[in-house]
Amino acid sequence: MKLNWFYFASPSTFYRLAGRMAPVFFALAALLGAAGLYVGLVVAPTDAQQGEVYRIIFIHVPASWMSMFIYFVMACYGGVSLTFNTRLAAMMARALAPTGAMFTFVALWTGSFWGRPTWGTYWVWDARITSELVLLFLYFGFIALANAFEDPRRGDRAAALLALIGLVNLPIIYFSVLWWNTLHQGSSVKFTGTTMQVQMLWGMLLMALSFWMYSLGASLTRVRAIILERERRTHWVRELATT
Amino acid sequence: MKPHEFYIWMSYGMTALALAAELVALRLRRSRSLRRIEEERDLEAQD
Repeated sequence: MKLNWFYFASPSTFYRLAGRMAPVFFALAALLGAAGLYVGLVVAPTDAQQGEVYRIIFIHVPASWMSMFIYFVMACYGGVSLTFNTRLAAMMARALAPTGAMFTFVALWTGSFWGRPTWGTYWVWDARITSELVLLFLYFGFIALANAFEDPRRGDRAAALLALIGLVNLPIIYFSVLWWNTLHQGSSVKFTGTTMQVQMLWGMLLMALSFWMYSLGASLTRVRAIILERERRTHWVRELATT
Repeated sequence: MKPHEFYIWMSYGMTALALAAELVALRLRRSRSLRRIEEERDLEAQD
């Protein structure tokens, strides 16, 4: 079966598709989150060195992954909207930014509350933590720039450009623990394998999947509101509002 | 969770709060968009 992607690029078609998909993603997020919390808080054993405080990683690490992954996807949508001048790609980039900013904030907050009992301080100007803070400012900059213009298409273009420039920060975050002598420890989960105990790993992966599903649900719900705002003078939106 | 329950629950609590705040914001944004469409349509109908 040949799939016509241009059919789904139409805001009216995508609006309906997103409306059907978002509840499924939210339900999956709730199920995976419940399983992840059970494994992380009940099943996983106490860490031999850190004690119970290590359980913060079950939200800190997935939130950090999502903060970077969402930024990457947002920049890709920005690049597509700049290259092909597609309305929906720009709307998706806008829809992803607040969720990405929220996960970046959660990563910084939880890292801070893990750092106090572990390192003895809530904050240190370490390369990993500072570059993650820069990521939060990039998200804020994207949101501010996208909304700074009266013509939303101009806002889309300016914000997309900022998102693409900000991509340089992602390898800096990821490799900061290797490039510099940081207080933040290196990765326990790599593409080549892991040094983590299996139940701890499962708890973390389940929470990461839950956050991923939540991000999909939230961005699809937000893009529906953006479509309504942008297309409010079209016939199909007028009809939709009356039903 | 002792002796670090404060740090653990502050982390989980803030995450729950952030997720809940985003969900509320999403709902408000949608209802605001729909209200704006209705207002504009009513204004046009008056003209």
